[in-house]
Amino acid sequence: MSSTFDRRGFLALAGLGASAAALAACAGPSTGGPAAVATNDSIDFSGVKPAAKIDFWTNHPGKSQDVEKAIIEKFQAKFPDIKVNLVTAGSNYEEIAQKFQTSQAAKSGLPGLVVLSDVWWFRYFINGSIIPLDGLVKQLDIKVDDFQKSLVQDYQYDGKQWALPYGRSTPLFYYNKDHFAAAGLPDRAPATWQEFAEWAPKLKASSGAQYAYLYPALAGYAGWTLQNNLWGWGGGWSKGWDITCDSTESVAALQWAQDSIFKDGWAGVSSKEAADDFAAGVTSTTISSTGSLLGVLKSAKFNVGVGFLPGGPAVASGVCPTGGAGLGIPSGISKEEQLAAATFLKFMTEPENTAQFSAATGYMPSRVSADMTAVLAKTPQIKTAMDQLPATKVQDNARVFLPGADQEMAKAAAKILTQKGDVKETMTELRKTLEGIYTKDVQPKLKK
Amino acid sequence: MTTQLTTPTRQHEIEAVEQSRRGIWPGFNGQAGKRWTARSRRDFLVFLALALPNLALIFVFTYWPLINNIYYSTLDWTLGSPSATVVGLDNYVTFFTSDDAGKVLGTTLTFTAVTVGGSMVLGLLLALALNAKVRGTTLARSAVFAPYVLSGVGVGLVWLFIFDPGYGVLSWILRGVGLSSPQWINDPQLALVMVMIVYVWKNLGYCAVVFLAGLQSLPRDVMEAAALDGAGTVRRFLSVSLPLLSPTTFFLLITTMLSSLQAFDLIRIMTPLGNGTSTLIYEAYLQAFGAFNRAGYSASISVVLFALLLIITVFQIRFVEKKVHYS
Repeated sequence: MSSTFDRRGFLALAGLGASAAALAACAGPSTGGPAAVATNDSIDFSGVKPAAKIDFWTNHPGKSQDVEKAIIEKFQAKFPDIKVNLVTAGSNYEEIAQKFQTSQAAKSGLPGLVVLSDVWWFRYFINGSIIPLDGLVKQLDIKVDDFQKSLVQDYQYDGKQWALPYGRSTPLFYYNKDHFAAAGLPDRAPATWQEFAEWAPKLKASSGAQYAYLYPALAGYAGWTLQNNLWGWGGGWSKGWDITCDSTESVAALQWAQDSIFKDGWAGVSSKEAADDFAAGVTSTTISSTGSLLGVLKSAKFNVGVGFLPGGPAVASGVCPTGGAGLGIPSGISKEEQLAAATFLKFMTEPENTAQFSAATGYMPSRVSADMTAVLAKTPQIKTAMDQLPATKVQDNARVFLPGADQEMAKAAAKILTQKGDVKETMTELRKTLEGIYTKDVQPKLKK
Repeated sequence: MTTQLTTPTRQHEIEAVEQSRRGIWPGFNGQAGKRWTARSRRDFLVFLALALPNLALIFVFTYWPLINNIYYSTLDWTLGSPSATVVGLDNYVTFFTSDDAGKVLGTTLTFTAVTVGGSMVLGLLLALALNAKVRGTTLARSAVFAPYVLSGVGVGLVWLFIFDPGYGVLSWILRGVGLSSPQWINDPQLALVMVMIVYVWKNLGYCAVVFLAGLQSLPRDVMEAAALDGAGTVRRFLSVSLPLLSPTTFFLLITTMLSSLQAFDLIRIMTPLGNGTSTLIYEAYLQAFGAFNRAGYSASISVVLFALLLIITVFQIRFVEKKVHYS
């Protein structure tokens, strides 16, 4: 064996090192330990003293860092013995989830309180990563009855409450009032998509904007907002656990959307963030979260109007999904930390704090008794989101409960709306993919 | 070989070198199974003190995760779940029998071939231009190399702004001449083209600088002899420079191919969903840390990538290197 280190040796070593680095980058923590069982029994917190310090992991939904800081300061004044450390744990719900899941696997560095989105909390429940809050609700006397019923019910499963609403939103129809006036259109959102199809050519002709309507970015949450179109045509991503994305109604809805881009030529698809495109004047209308409202109002140099989501030919109202994030408490931390986190959670969702959060972001106040008078006087558009709440509908299981389904929906939508892919074929493929996810990742973990 | 004039210390050093050439542990006295001298023990301890920290780091951060990862690839494990089931080779079977394998391997192949080829060809052309003795080459060399040292995240964000079909610089220029912008970000095929363009732009400076060093070390006498024999510029380049550059080309081929196969930052920033840009390494990331949380399945894709990198490197060293002229 020669001990000289020649070029060949160097290159071989470089190859091996690079290969190993590629693997090392993807390795995860150990998988030892007991089987994942979601904790079903209420945890008893009597006699437990809250921990002196907890981390709060958030992505600051709706650019809420400042208001989160302000609420934490108020909390510190009232509870000086519990220090809350505000941690930016990602720039969106997915990045927070990535950090949370990784810490869960590493069994270290978990926060006391974590922001969890509509598509993530159920996975945490399945993995046993979060605790049911019922014991804490009882001990701390959290007024669950005072929360908006539909928002709090989103986190109920198996007879337990797994999270509480925080930055909760619905999509809103945003329109440029100046463009509407120039086109001679009424100052309101269209009642149905058919009505908008009549308006769109006039808007495009008179506004000078690139599009009359911009579909939200597919890389964002296409599966969320497209539920509006699917439901309006009488379709959906799923009914219960049955995937229905390739039903006649669903295909008709997406065919109409495709035609609005390629045949009629008045619609486009956002590449990054539809709300930003709208505020920049690229389009006359779009659909985006209520959480984008304050940001749009600040940056748009025109009069902004908001309205309910349009209905479709089959269903005219009640075609708006709820969305956004809640707050949950990890199972892998001490009872003391869980109690401290719940104390903070209770404070964060108090009526005056939810009103303050709503005023700063545009998210809906999650408490019925929140006094929104001052907020609405300043930003009346938030009232549209609040008024729309009774007309919202719980999201399709396929989007919120199937891991990765939202991304698969976005890819399918990209094929239809940007590559002019065959709608029926694409949706049939999507159905197979979603059924595969259900059979492999969800069905075995559901209780009989 | 030793001589009568060598001092005892020198003699010891020469013996150590001879032993190491014969594959015998340096510091050991050369007679297997026999005693250690005080000096050889000390040398061995020094060797351990110097090598162990590095070996420990390599083991902890590279080889241990590698071994663990191979183990994880045999599990059905959802990231974040405390439990997992051993499924043997099921993850590999799932990968290779799904549509994903074809798509992901195809994307990886396209991305690697275009970015390696593009960076090397354009890098060589740039190196030839920079090798010319004209004013301003120092500034030009710095400008060409600068993108290579920039952060991939920053580069990705800036280029996203250029490509944005809504208000990007490129769409503004296209609109100026009456054209509409292609859907660079939403269209999977164009997204791959976009990422490849940016990747080549970022990395061709590296190839250019290495080729430039190669060009500048070419023996002048051979070039002059060729010129005297009547060979023109193109002929001299094709028949003399290019073959003499083959060690550089070979080195670049291996290093750029390895980094292309591991390209991550630009893909992650410019196309977070990996729509059309899911190479092996990005697919492994998406499967585990994206929306799916299939950690075991992701590990099996990493092992496939590992095997691919090993095969490519061994193939290159065994077969391609034979075409290389080292003198």
